[in-house]
Amino acid sequence: MPSVELSHIAKSFGPVKAVDDVSFSLEKGELFGLLGPNGAGKTTSLRIMLDIFKPDSGAVAVLGGPMTESKKDRIGYMPEERGLYQDIPLERCLAYLGALKGMSPADVKRRADVYLERFDLAASRNKKVKELSKGMQQKAQVIATLLHQPELLIVDEPFSGLDPVNTQMVMDVLREQHAQGVTIILCSHQMHQVEELCDRIVLIDHGRVMLYGGLAEIRRQFSGNAVLVRTPAELPGLAGVERVEQVNGTVKLHLAKGTDPQNILQALVARKVPVEQFEIAMPTLDEIFIRVVQGQERDA
Amino acid sequence: MSKIWHVALHEYRRHVLNRRFVFGLLSVPLVVILLVGLVFLMFAMENNTTPIGYVDHSGLLADPLPAPKPTAPDRPVPMVAFATEAEARTALVAGRIQAYYVLPADYRTSGELRVVHINEIKSPARQQFYDFLGANLLKGTDPAIAARLVKGADVTVQSADGSRSLSSNNWFSFVLPIIAGIGFIIAMFISGGYLMQAVVEEKENRTMEVIITSVSPNQFMAGKIIGDTCVGLTQILVWLLFIVIPIMVERNSIKFLQGIQLSPQTLAVLVFTMLPSFVLVAALMATIGATVTEAREGQQMTGLISLPVWIPYMLTSLLMGNPNSPLSVALSMIPLTAPVTMLIRDGLTILPAWQIVLSSAIQVLCALGAIWLAGRAFRLGMLRYGKRLSWRELFAPQGAKS
Repeated sequence: MPSVELSHIAKSFGPVKAVDDVSFSLEKGELFGLLGPNGAGKTTSLRIMLDIFKPDSGAVAVLGGPMTESKKDRIGYMPEERGLYQDIPLERCLAYLGALKGMSPADVKRRADVYLERFDLAASRNKKVKELSKGMQQKAQVIATLLHQPELLIVDEPFSGLDPVNTQMVMDVLREQHAQGVTIILCSHQMHQVEELCDRIVLIDHGRVMLYGGLAEIRRQFSGNAVLVRTPAELPGLAGVERVEQVNGTVKLHLAKGTDPQNILQALVARKVPVEQFEIAMPTLDEIFIRVVQGQERDA
Repeated sequence: MSKIWHVALHEYRRHVLNRRFVFGLLSVPLVVILLVGLVFLMFAMENNTTPIGYVDHSGLLADPLPAPKPTAPDRPVPMVAFATEAEARTALVAGRIQAYYVLPADYRTSGELRVVHINEIKSPARQQFYDFLGANLLKGTDPAIAARLVKGADVTVQSADGSRSLSSNNWFSFVLPIIAGIGFIIAMFISGGYLMQAVVEEKENRTMEVIITSVSPNQFMAGKIIGDTCVGLTQILVWLLFIVIPIMVERNSIKFLQGIQLSPQTLAVLVFTMLPSFVLVAALMATIGATVTEAREGQQMTGLISLPVWIPYMLTSLLMGNPNSPLSVALSMIPLTAPVTMLIRDGLTILPAWQIVLSSAIQVLCALGAIWLAGRAFRLGMLRYGKRLSWRELFAPQGAKS
């Protein structure tokens, strides 16, 4: 049974169609990427999923059925627009948000202590939230999202405003939650992080699903007929290679239609070229994203 | 603990533990204390204790009884006898006395006397001399009868059903509900203002989106309204302490405080009309907070709520002139005008039980409706960053979908 299932949901705000026939589902324990350019309909989809908005049409099932008040305690949501009470001490803010998720004061204290220590915020627990830096507030928001040990974690742009060290820390936390069996929806613009963390993605643009499926499979779909070769020697001219391009210390060989990459490898070995690396060139998620979004804009 | 109570507790602590609240809480009684202090200062300035002289040709004050002790805050003024008017005049010019009275030989029969002064003699000192004269005129009479004669008549006006009465001893009891009403209204708008500001702030700082994935909009609004009503009641309680403690301390020395009593009717009006109105105003303020985009815009709109509440004070003369007129009864039923109208009328007439019950029922229903409206406004307006929710959207049937 999927943890989350959206079936043909649509939502308009006046004349603007924010989400148009979007469907996707996640299995329990999956780390799933929700991608799309600004204004694509990602946040609206999340809000529909969380029952903040009602869809105009379509159906949503979360944790095995429609959203209920009791299910809210099993979900951790970190919205893109961060929101913490600014005028109260951090610890009291976390205690309140934890209590609203059904936690006892003792549990909130115990878990908050662990996370505050881990995120290097223990010394700031009595400071008012507004006195914390943007990055510290971001980490505090992550703590508020994880405090009640949710089964389903929905994080919208969790890395924005974080330095590389803290970005890595949040990535580690997400990996850790994933390893513990938590279902995670990661909504982000930062493709390399999505690429590192997610197994499956959905890409939404102009309110519609443009790509949906396993990341490896999607990359294969978008891979052109090219190979990457790393060698200390000069590459000889090879039959079937249309164009040669330098890419980050490697050479990308664009092959003519019908050329088998295995033939290229055999040719290199036959000519005694020392090969340090040979692989089928796969597009990065960034490249796929740009191609899909630009293609959509051209079609529009 | 239910989430509603968590929200209420958080809301309560957030305001009550705030320096701004403590300042607001103490500033009202401090201003009142300052005003009362000024009144006492004025009394003290009126109360000139320089002796009063007298020249008695009638023999009434040949061997006088001392002047009766004045009531607080007046202080006793010594009475000094002079043999001749010339001596008295010399003392007056020298400033040893503030004035002197001349009692002619036929004073006992004519009751006429003459006063000589440089500056006008103030009322407390003048009254003490008259009491001095009264005590000596009644010399030899039974002291109890003399005391009654000096005190004069004390007429008590009583209602036909015997439930209420008014005399010179308890007139303050009738002013008290109106003062309580003003206190209630001030507390109502201060705490309602906090609520509105809190909702706007939660929209502005984007806390809303986190909160509503934990509690339902109705739970959230109900909790906030309960919390802020408690904030208002805390204010009233503290202010009451500032009133009750001095009353308890000074009750025996200040005459008008001695007869204070709150009738069951006044208590019924305060509890059954004021409390629902408190909730009604809080819910309407929350509704405004949920529809606007910034606190300043919300403050401008609170006039729509505060104006009807104050209307009965503007119509006080009409209400006092005829507390049972159709206008008075109508204003007692209309939400927002009802609490103050009922309190003004409460001091002047016996309110029929059906009017108290009907008015309370209307206030309770309106308060519940306002809570529902606040929840709906919150649901529709919570994620409208930078865009106001129109009243048309608020009441549109399809509005509930977003």
